Amino acid sequence: MSGNELRPSSRLRRGAHRTLTGLHPVFESVIAGTVGLLVGAILMYMYGFDPWRAYFALIKGAFGGSYELSSSLARATPLILTALTFSICLRAGMFNIGAEGQMYMGGIASILIAYFVLPRGLHHIVGLLFAALAGAAWGIVPAILKVTRGVSEVISTIMFNWIARWSALYIAIFLIADPLRPERTLSIPVTARFPILVRGTDLSYSIFVAVAFALVIYFVLWHTAIGYEVRAAGLNPTAARYGGIRNKRTMFLAFILGGMGAGLAGASVTMGQPPTYAIFGGGSLTQLLNLGFDGMAVAMVGRNHPIGILFAALFFGGLNAGGRVMQFYGSNPVPLEMVRVVMGAIVLAMSIPELIRLFPMAKAKGEQFIAALKRSTKRGERGESA
Amino acid sequence: MSSQGGSSEGGYFLRADRITKVYSDGTVALKEASLEIHSHEIVGLLGENGAGKTTLTKILSGLLPPTKGRVISPKGPVRFASPREALDFGIGMVHQHFALVGPFTAAENVALSHESPFSRIRLPRIKTQLEALMEESGLHVPLDVPIEKLAVGEQQRVEILKVLSRDVDLLILDEPTSVLTPLEVDELFTLLRRLKSEGTSIILITHKLKEVGSITDRVVVLRHGEMVGDVRTSEASTERLAQLMVGQALDEAGDVVELSTEEIPRKAIRRAVDRTGESVLRVENLVAKGNTGEIAVEGVSFDVYGGEIFGIAGVEGNGQTELVESLTGLRRTVSGSATINGTNILGIDPRKIYKLGVAHIPEDRWELGLVLPFTLAENAILGVHRWKEFRGILSVLRWGKINKHVRQLMERFDIQATGPSAPAKSLSGGNQQKLIVGRELAKDPAIIVASQPTRGLDIGAARYIRQTLCDMRDKGRAILLVSADLDEVLAHADRVAIMYEGKFMDVCSPDNLDRERVGMLMGGATSEACKEAE
Amino acid sequence: MSFTDILSLLRITLHAMVPLALTAVGEIVGETAGLFNIGLEGILLLSAFAGALGAEAGGPALGLLVGMGVGAVVSFLFAIINTYWKGTQMVTGIGINLFAMGFVAFGLIQLGAPGFHDVPSSVEVIKWRTGMGSMSPLIIVALVMPFLIHWFLKRTRAGLMLKAAGEMPEAADVAGININRIRIMAAVFGGILAGLGGAYMSVAWLGLVTKGLSAGRGFISLACVVFSGLNPLLALLGAFIFGFFQALAEWVKTLPNKTIPGEFVSMLPYIVTLLVVSGAIGRVRFPKALGVPYKRE
Repeated sequence: MSGNELRPSSRLRRGAHRTLTGLHPVFESVIAGTVGLLVGAILMYMYGFDPWRAYFALIKGAFGGSYELSSSLARATPLILTALTFSICLRAGMFNIGAEGQMYMGGIASILIAYFVLPRGLHHIVGLLFAALAGAAWGIVPAILKVTRGVSEVISTIMFNWIARWSALYIAIFLIADPLRPERTLSIPVTARFPILVRGTDLSYSIFVAVAFALVIYFVLWHTAIGYEVRAAGLNPTAARYGGIRNKRTMFLAFILGGMGAGLAGASVTMGQPPTYAIFGGGSLTQLLNLGFDGMAVAMVGRNHPIGILFAALFFGGLNAGGRVMQFYGSNPVPLEMVRVVMGAIVLAMSIPELIRLFPMAKAKGEQFIAALKRSTKRGERGESA
Repeated sequence: MSSQGGSSEGGYFLRADRITKVYSDGTVALKEASLEIHSHEIVGLLGENGAGKTTLTKILSGLLPPTKGRVISPKGPVRFASPREALDFGIGMVHQHFALVGPFTAAENVALSHESPFSRIRLPRIKTQLEALMEESGLHVPLDVPIEKLAVGEQQRVEILKVLSRDVDLLILDEPTSVLTPLEVDELFTLLRRLKSEGTSIILITHKLKEVGSITDRVVVLRHGEMVGDVRTSEASTERLAQLMVGQALDEAGDVVELSTEEIPRKAIRRAVDRTGESVLRVENLVAKGNTGEIAVEGVSFDVYGGEIFGIAGVEGNGQTELVESLTGLRRTVSGSATINGTNILGIDPRKIYKLGVAHIPEDRWELGLVLPFTLAENAILGVHRWKEFRGILSVLRWGKINKHVRQLMERFDIQATGPSAPAKSLSGGNQQKLIVGRELAKDPAIIVASQPTRGLDIGAARYIRQTLCDMRDKGRAILLVSADLDEVLAHADRVAIMYEGKFMDVCSPDNLDRERVGMLMGGATSEACKEAE
Repeated sequence: MSFTDILSLLRITLHAMVPLALTAVGEIVGETAGLFNIGLEGILLLSAFAGALGAEAGGPALGLLVGMGVGAVVSFLFAIINTYWKGTQMVTGIGINLFAMGFVAFGLIQLGAPGFHDVPSSVEVIKWRTGMGSMSPLIIVALVMPFLIHWFLKRTRAGLMLKAAGEMPEAADVAGININRIRIMAAVFGGILAGLGGAYMSVAWLGLVTKGLSAGRGFISLACVVFSGLNPLLALLGAFIFGFFQALAEWVKTLPNKTIPGEFVSMLPYIVTLLVVSGAIGRVRFPKALGVPYKRE
């Protein structure tokens, strides 16, 4: 009786963030996460590694102490932003795969502030502004192509990723290279660097930028009229039209906001990551590489909600930080790349909406568990167990 | 119901035995419907929208499984797991919304249902076969044109040919004449008569009484999923059939029995029309096209005054949807005009139309009226989310105010839900509709356009909504009520127009309308229904 | 630019065309049936890697077969998730790409050199000596396959069934076609071709495996598919064009003067793709049911 069948008019995009089997969405993310880790463990075992030691090292390296936690948070910072890029557009009904390219351009733009001198706070703001604008500009072109020529944003954003990569490399090597250290760009000047939050780590105040952006996006999407329109248009464009919403406008706004987020991600790395505060030219833009794609995984696990993304980013940041420890731990350490394998497995698991249905026992157990929880909270005062 | 009639030549070919069908969303489409079909006969399956005709035939043709009951052949019960199995058994269906692949040509569409997957399609052979078939049946179509380029009538001929090429024993046609010209209808009927004489059984789904009279041997009437009549065509007058379709049943002796499932005391609800003088909505010669490019609204003109309910009755698919869409900013029109208190409402943004005082209760609450994953509160502001009460500075939504407003709505309209943050899809259909009604009425509109407002609702909710509309009318608002539920329109409207094939057949007060005459008008049998001119 | 240069350019173009053409044609089959697989990039990478391993284990033929097998398996998984399990094709595809990136990088480390692995020339697929230099016989396959598929789609009933499944599953269902089954078969076939394309890269052309071997080829293949309007012959043309620009990028790098920065030339294939896709979109028409899982009610 609940009418949650999606209409045949749903297309490629609509399924991605619909609420699923009725079990709490967090539960589903947890299941997918577990499945991913399981797949990783199986692969590790197949290649002759010890999964338990590896995961032990992973967890220790991610959350084992204040240094480790800071490291995880530092890794999480750009992921929060690129995840938001993907999620904002998904909420609007679009697939923006272009966070990677938008981030590169944002990072490059932020380096430009090395060309002028500004007082401390202002310098930060200008840097962020440049980055956000560059990212937004890079993101809006696919939107324009979509609206005017009907070009699939999937293809166009991916192409722009590659164009951005080569453009960024060119600019980094030829235009804004540090004359003294030509393998990288100019450094962000000291007046624009984010101070380190926890001494001895690489966690800087840039995390506040990321969290602030997440909160802003949350606010915009759920507490403003225009954000409401974006979400409505993404979920049911016909009803949105009925409600007087102009779907083209929401599309543009989503891409602009998303691009801004990705641009800020680039800035968070250049302005927030010691020791160089610059981008390395040598062929692959190493510090920025793949943060855009990883952001998509974070977005999905975070259920495309800013708050969820914060947690998911912490999880993935932890995976990355822990991975760095894991790759040196013990006599036969597991390489860092396994982390991305786990990430991919998690996303694959997330793409199956009826994941729970595939495990009928798990589903029944899960429902029992939740029912028991509900009962026990009701009787909580009396101290009775469920 | 007893099944009288039917030619007993050759015994029965197929029998539907107490078929019940409940869809996954809870809708009961069929309730213990039974039907016997014989060879050499044409059975007309009559009923209004939602009566269950298409569902029954989908079950017979293997597309859907019955929830209860079974299909029986002389050799025993049969079960079809797919339409293909039904086709192999000898049952073929010509769908209302054609099961044809657009870019394919006619020949390719036919080739689809012939054997062996990895064979080379021998188009020449199929074409020869089709050409012979076309000669025989009198149905001609170009064989090499992609069917999406063909006219709708031609497409239907392809659909029919497709089924005929499989040599079926039972041919089911779902509203076949709705897209044919009168000449084409004659040709089709000639074909059907010939097939019948060759032994084929035919089921013809239709809502057109004239057709029933001209081609069928037997008529079966469905209403709200139940079989309410099964008579020989020769023994049933059009009036009788109209009665059956719209709410009266025949008992064993063939006499009329009142079978209204809801009590709607007619006189009690309606009052004398008290027009406030000015017409709120004025429509003149409105012409609009449907989604397929054909004209769906053919020059409709009417006025709706404050303090009245203007009802548009008619079977769905006759242009009502397109008319409503044209008036609410959801469809471009071809020509004509429509104004609210003098201001044009054609071709402008829905939001502007709402500002002019229009409320729209849409006919499809899932597709159009609600964003199902949204909460109650979020849905309650759809269309009015930019209004000053709900929006503060910088476009920030004032959830406090909105939630209060929603709670008021919930109380006033008795919407059962856990609270403003309940997801809309967790509500029952009735409560969803009440939410929409509440939302629309909160706009304090000058005119309410209600399209199929009680469709799919339980009696309590339906009654509530009708009462609400009447209350608004009593307060002086103008109401445009479009409904395929004839009881509803006749009981509540102050003036009624019957819409058929894009035109208004007649407009007058329900007191002057004869129920069976309305049924006939709805079925296209033109005759005067108004005893006095209005 | 001398005659030898032109020949050289042509040679490289033909080689570069192979993975694009094979993958694109395979994806055309899948999309005709209604499945949109964005995970081609990952499949190329995985099959390149697996193909290299296979070749080292048992010779070039085995390498190619292993590559095709990997492509089939991954596509099968993709198809199952998105037909019977009613998944979301986009997300599955992204997951495949992420997984592949990680797995291949991981695997390369296992083989000794992080990010890079050389395939011994003894196990590479033979190259023929021609007037233009050494060329891979798989070029022939890449040239012929689009014609075969084109014929298949147009002339066999199976091709008809595929199109029906993608365009109007309701009609196909009525005609007795099992939509899910046919979509799975189409996807697996596409996966086999993509797998061949991937294995070709490592075992028959470049002779090595790197973390980023696919270099966006999966996505360029998707662009080819869009450009072709699901016509395999046009996809071949598209593959040739994009291959040409990739070859051009390579060639410019070898020029002594470095007048055009390598980065700009590297951008060219992607810019061209973008232009083509933007220009071509107007007339392209996709199956109506693309991306939508089929349900019977």
